Formats: sequence, C-alpha cells, structure tokens
Amino acid sequence: MTSSTKSRRQFLKSSGSTIGASWLAVNTPLILAACQSAHTKIETQAGYENLSQEEAVELGAVVDQIIPPDEAPGATETGVVYFIDVALGGFMAGSASTLRAGLEELQQMAASVQARNHRFSDLSFEQQTVVLKEAENTEFFGTLHFLTMMGMFCLPKYGGNRDHLGWDLIGFNHQHAWQPPFGYYDAAVHAQTPKQGDDHGHS
Amino acid sequence: MATADVTPKFNTREAVDFVIIGSGAAGGVLAKELSSNGFNVVVLEQGHYRTAADFKHDEVQVMFQDQLLMHPGWNDPQTFRRFEKDTAKVQQGGPPPALYARGVGGSSVHFTANYWRFHESDFKERSLLGPMEGTGFADWPISYGELEPYYTKVEWECGVSGQPGPFEAPRSRPYPCPPLPVKSSGVLFENGARALGLHPQPAPMAILSRPHNGRPACIHCGFCMGFGCESSAKSSTLASMIPLAEATGRCEIRPLSTVFRIETNALGRVTEVVYLDAEGTEQAQKAKAVILAANGAETPRLLFLSESGRCPDGLANSSGIVGKYLMGNGHSVTHAAFEHPLNEFKSVQVTRIVHDFYEHDPARGFYGGGGMDARPFLDSTPIMYAQSGLPPGTPKWGSEFKRMLRHYYTRKMTVLGSTTSVPLERNNISLDPTIKDDKGRPAMRMTYMDHDDDLAMATFLQDRAVEILGAAGAKEIWREPVEGGTIQAHLLGTCRMGNDPSTSVVDRYHRTHDISNLFICDGSSFVSSGRGQPTMTIQALAFRAAEHITRFARRGEI
Repeated sequence: MTSSTKSRRQFLKSSGSTIGASWLAVNTPLILAACQSAHTKIETQAGYENLSQEEAVELGAVVDQIIPPDEAPGATETGVVYFIDVALGGFMAGSASTLRAGLEELQQMAASVQARNHRFSDLSFEQQTVVLKEAENTEFFGTLHFLTMMGMFCLPKYGGNRDHLGWDLIGFNHQHAWQPPFGYYDAAVHAQTPKQGDDHGHS
Repeated sequence: MATADVTPKFNTREAVDFVIIGSGAAGGVLAKELSSNGFNVVVLEQGHYRTAADFKHDEVQVMFQDQLLMHPGWNDPQTFRRFEKDTAKVQQGGPPPALYARGVGGSSVHFTANYWRFHESDFKERSLLGPMEGTGFADWPISYGELEPYYTKVEWECGVSGQPGPFEAPRSRPYPCPPLPVKSSGVLFENGARALGLHPQPAPMAILSRPHNGRPACIHCGFCMGFGCESSAKSSTLASMIPLAEATGRCEIRPLSTVFRIETNALGRVTEVVYLDAEGTEQAQKAKAVILAANGAETPRLLFLSESGRCPDGLANSSGIVGKYLMGNGHSVTHAAFEHPLNEFKSVQVTRIVHDFYEHDPARGFYGGGGMDARPFLDSTPIMYAQSGLPPGTPKWGSEFKRMLRHYYTRKMTVLGSTTSVPLERNNISLDPTIKDDKGRPAMRMTYMDHDDDLAMATFLQDRAVEILGAAGAKEIWREPVEGGTIQAHLLGTCRMGNDPSTSVVDRYHRTHDISNLFICDGSSFVSSGRGQPTMTIQALAFRAAEHITRFARRGEI
C-alpha cells in the first residue's frame, strides 16, 4: 500500500467525520454474531432488530434513491436496509441518533412538499429526489450513502449484497482463484504464449 | 516447516543472545538468519500471530475496520501536522498517518509486494549531483555492490518473481521465478509506453509465480494489496522466514508483546527490553544484545520512550537526529477507463512497470526520479471502488450514479507514480506532548510535508501517465490532485546510517554509534528514499546486517 490511500481518507471525510472513528471502535466478535443473525433473518425474511418497521420503510425509500431499482435491483432489494439494521446494532451504533434525527428532518421536508402525505416514502419517486437534493450535503445523507455502498457490496454474511446482487451489478465475481486470461486486453497475449509460471526456462 | 514442539519458551530473566523488536520485513529476516546461525532469539511483536488460514476476503474488516493495522489490545492514537509550527492532531477517519500492519510478518503481510532493487545511483546521489542546501541529502556509507549479494538472497530466500529490466543495476543471479502472468492493465500500460518509445518491463514482485521453497504459486484471488495472503504465495516474512526461524528450535516469536522501553545499565549497555504482554502485564526480557526492527516510525518512538538520565533526548541519540529525515516517497495517481473489461479485481496489483524516469535528469529542473506501474490500486475491491472509484463530476447518487457504478468497475485501471523524497530535518517522528495511548505512552507524532521537488516529480510522472494511457487508447483519463502526503506507508530515514556519529544514528553495520549492543535495522536506516518501493532494500539490509552481527557475536565484539 502507498501513501495515496489519501483518497480513502477523502471519502471517509466526505461521508461524515464521525464514521471513521466509529468503525475503528468496533467490537469484532459482536459484529460477527450480529452478522450471523442478519444472514439468518434475510433467509427467513424475519423482521428488524434495531429499526422499527416504519423506519425501515423510510430508510428503504432513501437508499432506493441512492441506488434506484431499474432493470437491476435497487438498494432495498439488495438487502441494504437489513445491513443498516445490523450496523446500528453494533459497529455503527454511534450513528443511530444521526440517522434518526435526519429521518425526522426528512419527514418535515416531505410534509412541506405535500402536506396531506406525511411520510417521505409516500411521495412520488420524483418528489423524493427533489427533497433529498436539499439534504445531500448533510451528515445524515453522507452516513446513509456510506452504509448503502457497504450494504450493496459487502460479503453477504454482513446482511447486505443479497444473493450477490450488488456484485452482479458492477461485474465483480467473487471466486477463490483465477487463471489468465483475466480480461479483454490480456486474452490475446495469453493465447499466444505458453502459460506463465510454468517450470521452464528459469533455473 | 515449523512444528510447535521445537518452538522454545525462553525464560525472561535469563539473557538470550538477541531480542529482536518487530517481526516484519527486517525483523523476520534477522530472526531467521540469527537463529539459523546458532543464536537464541526472542522476537517481540505487538500484533497477533495470524496464519494464512486467518486471512479472509473480508473487505469490511480489512479496509474499513483496519483489522491488520490496529493495535490488538488498546487504542494507540497517532497525531499529524504539516509543519513544526502547527499543533498535531489525531486525524478523524481513515488509516493513521504512519500506516503499518501489526502482526507477525509486519507490513510484509499486507503489502503490494513491489520488489525493485535500488540502482547504483541511489547510494551515492550526493556525490553524483552535489549538495542540496537545507536538506539532509547524503550518500550511503555502503554501495550497491556491497548490497548486491543480499538483494540476491532476498530474491531466492524470500521468493521474488520477475525478469531483469533494461535499467537495473548488475545482478549476480537470475530471478528464481518468472514474471507473474500479465493482466490487462499491464498489457495496456506496456502498449502505451512502447508507443511513446519507453521501455516497460515485467514487474518484480515478491509473489510466487510458481512453487518455490516449498510454498505454492499465486492463485490470483485478487485480495492482495492491504490483505494477508491466504495461500502463502505472497512472500511475507510470515510465509517465508518465520517458519524457518521457528524450525531451528532457537527462535521464540512472542506476539501481543508491546515494547515500551529498552533498559540500559550504568555502563551504557542495553540489558533488557520491557513490554506489556497479552494481558497488559509488564514483562522484561533480558538480552545480551537488542536489534530494533520496529519500522521507521515505531523505532524512533521507542528510542524516545527509552530516555534516561544518561540519555535525556532518547537512546542512541547523541547526534540529536533520531526521528528526523523521515521520507515517505511521493506519489501521483492517474485513472483511466477503457472500452472493454480489464477485470482488475483479479490477481496481483502490478504486472508491468516503467523505469525510464528512474534517474535524476537536470533537464527537468528539479531533483528526483521515479518509477511507474499499472494497477487497480484501491478500486480492486467493490466497496472501496464504490466509495471513491468514479471520475470527478459523476453524480453521487441516483440512476446515473448506478449506471456509472456498473460501467467503470471492470473497465478501470490506475497508473501509480512513485518518487524520491528529499530528506528534510523538518519531516520527522517525535512524541506528542499531550496525547497518550491507553497505557499512558506518549502518542507517535508525525510532522510531514513533501519537498517541492518531490511534488514536482510526482506531477512529472502524472503527466507521463496521462500520455501513456492516451497512447494505450483510454476512453477517459482523470487525475487525482498531487498534494503533500498525510499518510505514509513507507517509513524511512529516521535513524539514518553513516560513518560520522554526529550526523547518523547507526554505522555501516547497523550498530548504533552510542551503544555497542544495540542495533537498528529497518526502514529507519535509509539515507535516501529510493524510488518508491523500499521493502526489497530493507530486507537486503537485514540479510547483510545479520551476517555482520553474527561475525561480531562470534568474535565476542558485542
């Protein structure tokens, strides 16, 4: 690794300054236990442990704005809300108040758009987008964005990335081992030359 | 291979021949060499003793929870500032300023494994180029020729895959393993560089391309930079050296042992090493001699923590330069996207490099040199990519964001430029005056701002990277800003080697000028920074140091 991991620092910063610290303060055995339970819940479609049903619906609407469903599944279908439920029970517990306060504020913004509907999730997708644009530079949104990326692309044991839907979206294939050719541009090279790493030519 | 029944347990109250502090790139080599030469050795390592089976493809734990970096027992913060006039602060979020792995094998467990030998010029640039006012620009007290046999030892004993390139210094033996299979990033980088008249070459990597020394070849799993190797194909000292050290029956690796003081007696000799064990209980291991190999940040910190009435400025610091001249290597990062999938998430990071700009060239108008390589960099794993891998200006959420996430992951690559660092007294490791760790030890404080020439060289390499990627047919190219580093994974120069006790900390054999039974061998011994890939040289120094220390010990000269 090199000092240019600064780009990693930048995104951590941009996702809200408290996130890094809370990730560092994790209790690993606790996470693993929580993950196992989340994995079981996903398979049984059981309820949430740290989120109320209503909070889950509202958070689902927000994360589906970040990764919307189209011909490929969106964030909610990929298990991001389950991942957040797990995270709030353990390693992201310190961000629970930020998320709850942010959700509350979002509801007030939603109500001002369309008074007769009080919930963000009741708005049309387009109306939700307009409301969320107002909040996109808040710590609430940064935290939720960070959690959405985690929940989309983590190992499924963490509760998100259901059935590898997140990985399928970007073309990541998790396999224990690979052999060349690895991609389009090295295919011709490997077709021409004997397999590298074989035992010839070097003493 | 090591077997548990031959691993000794030494009595802490009886002096062993050597205590080695740190089990990383240098410490692992020293442990293997000295125990093989018949000495009893205790290695104190602050991290866990993990094995290959403990290394998982778990991006959340490794990249976001710093599983391999964090202290296993307690919070051990670091502070950072640019300049000495500033007040250093603990940075919120991201890895610490001095980025190194804790655990048996040290940072050789998680490194990328670029193994470039230094060139002959790296050891004598001060003589070749003349002085640089206001800097610590100096020659090494040893030459490439003196180190060459030990570079060869590293390649064969640790295991390096490669093929000699057009610019490298003379070598006495070929690489033991052929280059790793080229990736798409390597093919594109090579094509682009050749089109510009440059001389790309296979990357020398401390990763086995075929079985060697009883270890298996790389399986190209892709979880490489930042991760531990599950197949032991990455030539960490954990995989290559530690098992041999333990198999001698004379080497005890003591993990979860955090050293906080080296004790000296009235004669000014080191007597014992004091540490906290896994339970947080204070222990002290007596030793006839101590070798400090804790890395270029922890080594000076420990010398400062070992201050005494006789050594009020820290152990082995009569020169006053312990901790100073920290060098981290400058970097520039350039991204590109291509039409078809590269699938850079597979295999090792780097398969092709360019060393055309390695040597200093006065025509550039500033001091320095560097190397370039093609790699996925931080975008090989999905969460890191999703957080920071898209081009600037891309929407951060919504359907367009989703479309971009889908598009770039398989089509992206990065060219990393790595440069010299001018040694500056103002860049250093010291003890923070106010912040302490949970055990009351003063925190490590890093003061660092790259020299203007280092940034100019990084920008120069970025300009070349843009040209190469353009010539390779990239559809899009974008730059990360070149700016002073805030995180250093290469921790070099803080106890520099030299013949003059007033301007160096260790002599040409890594013995401290001040204390005859205290040796230091790690990145801190460096006098110049090389061009960005220091581990190969750290290990060559360790093999060489072990040979001389053995000679001294056998003659009773310690």
